[in-house]
Amino acid sequence: MSADSAIDPEPVAVQPLSVDMRRLTRVGSRPNFLDYLVQLWDFRQFIFYDARARVQSGTRRDRLGSAWLLLNPIFNGLTYFLIFGLLLKTSKGVENFVGYLVVGIFIFQFSSGAITSGARSIRNNKSIVQAFNFPRAALPIGANVRELLSAVPLVLAMLLIVVVLPPAEEITWLWVLVVPAILLQSLFNLGVGLILARIISRVHDVTHLLPFAIRAWMYVSAIFYTYDRFVTHPQMLAAIKLNPLFNVIDIVRDCVLYARVPQWQSWAILVVWAFGALAVGMVYFWKGEESYGRG
Amino acid sequence: MDVGEQEIFLEGHPCVVVDRVRMRYRVASSAASEANAEETKSRFLRRAVSKPNMVTVQALNELSLVVERGESVGIIGRNGSGKSTLMKIISGQSKPTSGAVYASSTPIMLGVNAALVQDLSGDQNVILGCLAMGMSRAEVDEKFNSIVELSGLEKSIHLPMKSYSSGMASRLRFAIAASVDPEILLVDEALNTGDAQFGDRSKLRMDELREQAGCVFLVSHSLDTIKDMCTRVIWLDKGDLIMDGEPEVAIKAYQDFTRHLSKGNNVSAAQILDDAKANLVATEVRGRSSRRSRG
Repeated sequence: MSADSAIDPEPVAVQPLSVDMRRLTRVGSRPNFLDYLVQLWDFRQFIFYDARARVQSGTRRDRLGSAWLLLNPIFNGLTYFLIFGLLLKTSKGVENFVGYLVVGIFIFQFSSGAITSGARSIRNNKSIVQAFNFPRAALPIGANVRELLSAVPLVLAMLLIVVVLPPAEEITWLWVLVVPAILLQSLFNLGVGLILARIISRVHDVTHLLPFAIRAWMYVSAIFYTYDRFVTHPQMLAAIKLNPLFNVIDIVRDCVLYARVPQWQSWAILVVWAFGALAVGMVYFWKGEESYGRG
Repeated sequence: MDVGEQEIFLEGHPCVVVDRVRMRYRVASSAASEANAEETKSRFLRRAVSKPNMVTVQALNELSLVVERGESVGIIGRNGSGKSTLMKIISGQSKPTSGAVYASSTPIMLGVNAALVQDLSGDQNVILGCLAMGMSRAEVDEKFNSIVELSGLEKSIHLPMKSYSSGMASRLRFAIAASVDPEILLVDEALNTGDAQFGDRSKLRMDELREQAGCVFLVSHSLDTIKDMCTRVIWLDKGDLIMDGEPEVAIKAYQDFTRHLSKGNNVSAAQILDDAKANLVATEVRGRSSRRSRG
């Protein structure tokens, strides 16, 4: 390899060759958006296998194995309970503060985990990306399916805590609404993960910023306090309540803790965020399809 | 030699068209940039924020090739001549700095260097890899046993990849990649993988693949292998195309060249290079989208 020789030596003789290009496609070229979605559908078995296999192997290194999927948010909840519930007393005016806190933390943790692993899915799987030719969005989607699968025991544990810990809540038909709320949340996670995955594949430094951004997001999502107590300005409050994660948490709290039918506004905000993020994320990720794992 | 504007008309459909491909890398050099060597006062600051000395490496100069069905192309050259770069570009693993590669179907590279998912076991990696190549689950199940047999891993197939030796991992990688019957096959020194027993087995499978494939690209340090297998040989040196033609002629010229070099006769070696270059007829691809010629 020669360094810095920008001038190509001219070939001595050039032979023009007329070639029939009709049946040829450019290697590594990006299909149009609809074809891309069809390709992703064709790779659904890959996506599900990838997700399932990694859920099983994710905690194999730890002695307590999959129990950490549960222990992690429980310890988290305990920490916040000690600091915010007992020391800082942000619990004032909140009915069933333990349940309030547990729902907030478990639901938020699902999003923070899913967004992080979606965002890192391209970087962390560089070897698969380089070895095989498949639509790259399969990896962030696989990461989100995986997070959704491991969220199932998480949500069950959350509900169990709510039922067991005093003040114990009654199980009502409203609990069913937790399922669509979490599915919508999952679509939102995927959309954000797709956007970040493309950014991180280009600028790796963003991975270092991601934990800070997520922590800041957590503090503004009313997990261990209520907005009404700290935010007095009405417009400010309305703006803050557009936060999609706050809306998921709010919906689940209404259903599970307070036996209230969630407001339609919350659903509307969540639906717009979920499908908006997914649409923007898919298109943005697809535009970078040719760049992943190369060069 | 004057071939001038006499356009040659190629009947039929080629397998691979490499059109004016060029590859250049920007890499960090450990050599200090001499510009600010004496300035010492803010050395610490500069080290913390400044980029390292970046150097452009010309890995492959402008190159065009047309490969038709039934051709086996051997690529020879010294270390760093751009052989692997060219293979990576054809397979789509890296994106050329300029130019493009067109192919009649997805080229499959049988390399030995791509890692799979370290945390998953061998059998999970087999399934995942096959699905990533676009097989359906049923096809994978059908081929699973023959892949495991080809890899020769036996019981170790159930252990996680990270416990594998590099030889075992590359055998598995080869077995997975060799499970499809690609139309365009790229082989990068895969013959030298593993122990003697695996060598025989992989050679057998490779012969099968080569017979079925529409066209084959082969990089090997063994000139005998190339002489046995190829119908056409391309000689690269320092990113330049030196020769493109009959295996016997090209290999003989290359052997002469390396013999002179190893004896220290740099001048006569350069003479051979120049002679070969002087006789080179470079291809200029003119794409058409009809069966018949325009003129």
